[in-house]
Amino acid sequence: MTAAAPEGPSSARIVATSAGAAAVAAGVLFAVVLPAEFGFDPLGTGKALGVLGLSRDVTSTLARQEDRFLTDEIRFTLSPFESVEYKYRLEEGDSMVYDWMATGEMLYELHSEPDGAEPGYAESFDRARSDRGAGTYVAPFPGIHGWFFENRGETDATLTLRTAGFYSTAFEFRDGGRFERPVRGRAP
Amino acid sequence: MNAAGRAALAVLALLAAQAAVGHAVSDSDALFVESIDGPAVAPFVYLGAKHMVTGYDHLLFLVGVIFFLYRLRDVALYVTLFTAGHSITLLAGVLGGWQVNPWVIDAIIGLSIVYKAFENLDGFRRVFGIAPDTRAAVLVFGLFHGLGLATRLQELVHSENGLLVNIVSFNVGVELGQFTALAGVLALLLFWRTRASFARHAFATNVALMAGGFGLAGYQLGGLLLAPA
Repeated sequence: MTAAAPEGPSSARIVATSAGAAAVAAGVLFAVVLPAEFGFDPLGTGKALGVLGLSRDVTSTLARQEDRFLTDEIRFTLSPFESVEYKYRLEEGDSMVYDWMATGEMLYELHSEPDGAEPGYAESFDRARSDRGAGTYVAPFPGIHGWFFENRGETDATLTLRTAGFYSTAFEFRDGGRFERPVRGRAP
Repeated sequence: MNAAGRAALAVLALLAAQAAVGHAVSDSDALFVESIDGPAVAPFVYLGAKHMVTGYDHLLFLVGVIFFLYRLRDVALYVTLFTAGHSITLLAGVLGGWQVNPWVIDAIIGLSIVYKAFENLDGFRRVFGIAPDTRAAVLVFGLFHGLGLATRLQELVHSENGLLVNIVSFNVGVELGQFTALAGVLALLLFWRTRASFARHAFATNVALMAGGFGLAGYQLGGLLLAPA
C-alpha cells in the first residue's frame, strides 16, 4: 500500500527540524560564542579552543598592575652638542608619565628598542627641538623605552627628567657606554 | 549540505559577524554623533542606512518575510507594514525617552526571525493547526524592531536641539538602507526561484534562518545575563 506523498513537510518533521535548529544554535552559543563574548564557559570549550581570552576587557582606560609604580628623577648637564640617552625597561602595555625641562634648547627623540630587534634599530615616537616636554607613554611592545637628548644651545644646559611608571630598570647611555641605574620605588 | 550543517554554518557566520561589528553604532561614529548639537540631516541619514545595511537581524527578518512572496505588490505591502511598525516605535521611543533594555529587545528581534522562519516552514498550520495573520505579525514585529532602533539612536543623541529632524533623518536613512539591501536580496531570490534548487532547498534554508534567529536571540539573552553592566 502506498500513501500519497503529503504536500510539504509533515508536522513531525517541522518539529524535529525546529528543535534541531534550536539545538544547533544552543551548541554554537555554549561552545564558542558565550565563552568568547562573555567569558561564560560551562563546557570548557572556550578554554580548549583558546577563544576565552577574547572576552577579556582590553579597554585602554584601565590597566591594572601587580607591582607598585616606581619614580625616578635625574639631572644631566650637557655641554653644547653633547648628548645622552636615558631609557626604561617597560613591558608591553606598561605606562609611565614624564616631564622634563632644560635650561637650553634640546634636540630630543622619544623612541624604543623592541626586544630582539637588530642592534641600533629603534622606533621613534616624537622627535623635535624644545626645552621641555611632558606626557604619558604606553609601551607598544616589550623593550627599552626612553629619550635621546642633545644640547643644541651654545652654552651648557641642565636637563631635569622626572618620571613615574611601571618600569623595572633605567639605563643611561653616555660616552659610548651603557650604565644601569637603580630607580627608586615608592617605599611602603 | 544537510540542514543541520547549513544551520550551524548560518549561526556561526552570523554570530561571528555580530561579534565583529557588534550591532551598536561603531565607536568613531558614536563619538562624532555625540558631539552633534543641532539638526544634522546627512550624518543621521547615513547612520540610519548604515545601521540597516549592516543590521543582519533586521535584514534576516525581511528575508524571511519576502521568502515566499512572489508578487511585487505583496513585497511592497509587507515591507510597508514593517516600515510603519518600526517607524512608529523609533519616533515614539526616542521622543518619549523610553528606556528599554537593548538586550531584551534584540533578543525579541532574534525571535522574530525564528517566528517567520517557522511560519515559512508552514509550522503554525501543520503543527498547531492555526494560521496567525502574517500581516499583523509583521506589523507587531516591526514595532519591536523600531524599539531596537530607538535604543540605539538614544545611545547617540545627547542634544534636544534638532532632535526631531535628526530622528526623522535617521529613519529616512533606515528606509534607504532597507530598500538597498532588500533590492539585493529580492534580486537573488527572484533569480534563485527560477532554478529547481529553490524548491529543494527552501525548507533547509528556512531551518537555517531559524537557527540564525535562535543564535541571535541566545546571544542577546547571554548578554542580558552575563555582560558586565
